[in-house]
Amino acid sequence: MSEQQPVPRPSGPSGGSREGRPSGPGGGPSGPRRGKRQYFRKKKVCRFCVEKVDFIDYKKVEMLQPFVQERGKILPRRMTGTCSKHQRWLGVAVKRARNIALLPFATEL
Amino acid sequence: MADRLYDLIFICMPTTPEEEVTKIVSTLEQTASEHGGKVEKVEKWGTRKMAYRVAKQREGFYVYLALHSTQGSLIKELERRLKVTDAVIKYMTVRLDEEIKRQQKLVAHREHRARRRPRKPAAAPAAPPAPEQQAAAS
Repeated sequence: MSEQQPVPRPSGPSGGSREGRPSGPGGGPSGPRRGKRQYFRKKKVCRFCVEKVDFIDYKKVEMLQPFVQERGKILPRRMTGTCSKHQRWLGVAVKRARNIALLPFATEL
Repeated sequence: MADRLYDLIFICMPTTPEEEVTKIVSTLEQTASEHGGKVEKVEKWGTRKMAYRVAKQREGFYVYLALHSTQGSLIKELERRLKVTDAVIKYMTVRLDEEIKRQQKLVAHREHRARRRPRKPAAAPAAPPAPEQQAAAS
């Protein structure tokens, strides 16, 4: 009993230490969550869902531009609020536009 | 076999005269008809800035074609021709029929839902009281 397992798996000890950790943060969020939420962030809505877009056209550069950084990166969903479905389509559209030099892969200089 | 829809965009050197572009387009149209396809739409977008340099050029003359074909060999032939043409510096073909089908399905689905659940006039009067109560409470 005192010697629980003579040969614990290497993951065993780390698992034990990990066991202790969740209780800390687990207790943390529950505290503030009990009261009223301090910060209220305006919920972002998917712009494509609002406009009921069924197909994101890669030829309309003006439409894609707001979802692309200056350097040519596709903006993440958490920044733009796009839903997963439309983000997927958006990615495809941006990549097509890049292929035909409508959008940059990366801005030179 | 069902028709396949494609978008074909190609970019010519900015120095290419307009007549030569027209000539390229007409040869493409001819090739398409030979292979059992058809060019539906031709749009010349004109000279515009490219997002990056292609063939040492910063600008290019964009031409957009919408076409449908019944056999894949047509696309192969069109791309071969574009590759051979010196004035063309870049081209891209995208198959779109499956996406259009998906789009139509979504539209149909939405219309179906809208028809099944029409906005009841009775629901409208029921809704306003709730905000009033809230306003009174606060």
